[in-house]
Amino acid sequence: MALKSPLYDLQKNLGAKFTEFAGFEMPIQYSSIKDEHFAVRKNVGLFDVSHMSNIWITGEGAQDLISLTTVEDASRIADKKGQYTAILRKDGTIIDDTIFMHLDDRYMMIPNAGMAEIVTDWLNKVAEEHNICATVENVSRDYVIIAIQGPKARGTLQKLTDVDLKTIGFFGCQYIDIDSVNCIISYTGYTGEPGFELQITPTKKAENIFKKILEAGKEFNIKPIGLGARDTLRLEKCFMLAGNEFEGGRTPLEATMGWVINWDHDFIGKEALLKQKEKGDFERITCLLCQDKGIPRHGCEIHKEGKKVGKVTSGTLSPCLNTGIAMGYVKHDLREKDTILDIVIRDKPVKSKVVKPPFVPKDWADKN
Amino acid sequence: MSDEVRNDLKYTETHEWLKLKDNKAVVGITDHAQSELTDIVFVELPTVGKAVKKGDELCVVESVKSVSEIYSPVSGKITKINDKLDDAPETVNNSPYDDGWLVELEVTDKSEVGGLMNAESYKKLI
Repeated sequence: MALKSPLYDLQKNLGAKFTEFAGFEMPIQYSSIKDEHFAVRKNVGLFDVSHMSNIWITGEGAQDLISLTTVEDASRIADKKGQYTAILRKDGTIIDDTIFMHLDDRYMMIPNAGMAEIVTDWLNKVAEEHNICATVENVSRDYVIIAIQGPKARGTLQKLTDVDLKTIGFFGCQYIDIDSVNCIISYTGYTGEPGFELQITPTKKAENIFKKILEAGKEFNIKPIGLGARDTLRLEKCFMLAGNEFEGGRTPLEATMGWVINWDHDFIGKEALLKQKEKGDFERITCLLCQDKGIPRHGCEIHKEGKKVGKVTSGTLSPCLNTGIAMGYVKHDLREKDTILDIVIRDKPVKSKVVKPPFVPKDWADKN
Repeated sequence: MSDEVRNDLKYTETHEWLKLKDNKAVVGITDHAQSELTDIVFVELPTVGKAVKKGDELCVVESVKSVSEIYSPVSGKITKINDKLDDAPETVNNSPYDDGWLVELEVTDKSEVGGLMNAESYKKLI
């Protein structure tokens, strides 16, 4: 049976339709994916993302363990700062992408849904093999995670705290009282809009906070948002979805995440990545904007002059552009900007153009 | 939740409706179906003249997140398609029984229509 978020009953009362995602029954949508999508782009939306995982990494070797198991050098990340990174196997393929937060002398990692045990076991195994003194604890069920995202996110949340939220910069994180409950706040998200994520424990405190935020955001027409809009929002910004873009074992170079790799430290998978980088002839994530009608979906083939040159990992109709958009792996020499490729949708080729990410620019809401 | 069921229509278990006039049948999806799908953003219609059997895929209706095949309630030949849906697929949401119709068929075997559900039975199903 699927696990339920501690906010399930509240969401049901708010009219959510549910779907099973990574073993959790989560809201797919409340009113409509489009309405929810625009609420976040133009105003503010509130997400329950408790299906994501929480891991505490503590002990004197915590920093070394993170540096060894991710592509980031954790000693670079100051207290009250978070970092987006990836955890690799020895062959350079991605186990998971994650954020870790530096909070005093410990670190909280937020792996994807369904990845808590896999990542915890992997970190423990590496710690043991390398004699690193660190404790890795899967605390996913102790936390509710909510995300408040959109241009009015700060204005909404500010009403519930004495901390000046302007002092928390991009990827900043700290402890904070929200409605008298001590939470972890971070300036992070998965929508491309400004906003915050809150880690709330004990979980029974979360329902009231969720309600209070909805109340505080009323003047901005805040909406609760389901996973449907979460997916269209991230796809317009070309953010990776672990289950889609990393499926079948992909390296961060293939996933065009080279920018998060810190090459100046030793980490598991580094040798494999260096070899791949030198060869250079690997498929890479490519962003495709449809030029004709049709909505690309996960699994559609990408063709060039009738020959298969890639495959779509994520596709949707972009609510902002009202056009089909897709990300997929394409041969390295066919992904130059403006290259025309075909996405095959139900046996029909749909003309698509290679574009630079993101599909939807930062100032979209100002112009629309 | 809007779940209008009209008395003058016939229904399938897969949430299509059919309206018979002489030997022509107009087909669409029910109010219940459009409300479950929400945000219809693309309708792929068949070509006029195409012959379909009862239960064949008639067209494809896509919402932001889902792709749904629409099945032909009866056998026949397609005589008209609602090409206004090309530019305004949301019409299926706004007017599932009127302006949001999908195709018109020339019915080969009228007895197939008798096998479809009436409004009463369809109400029980949803």
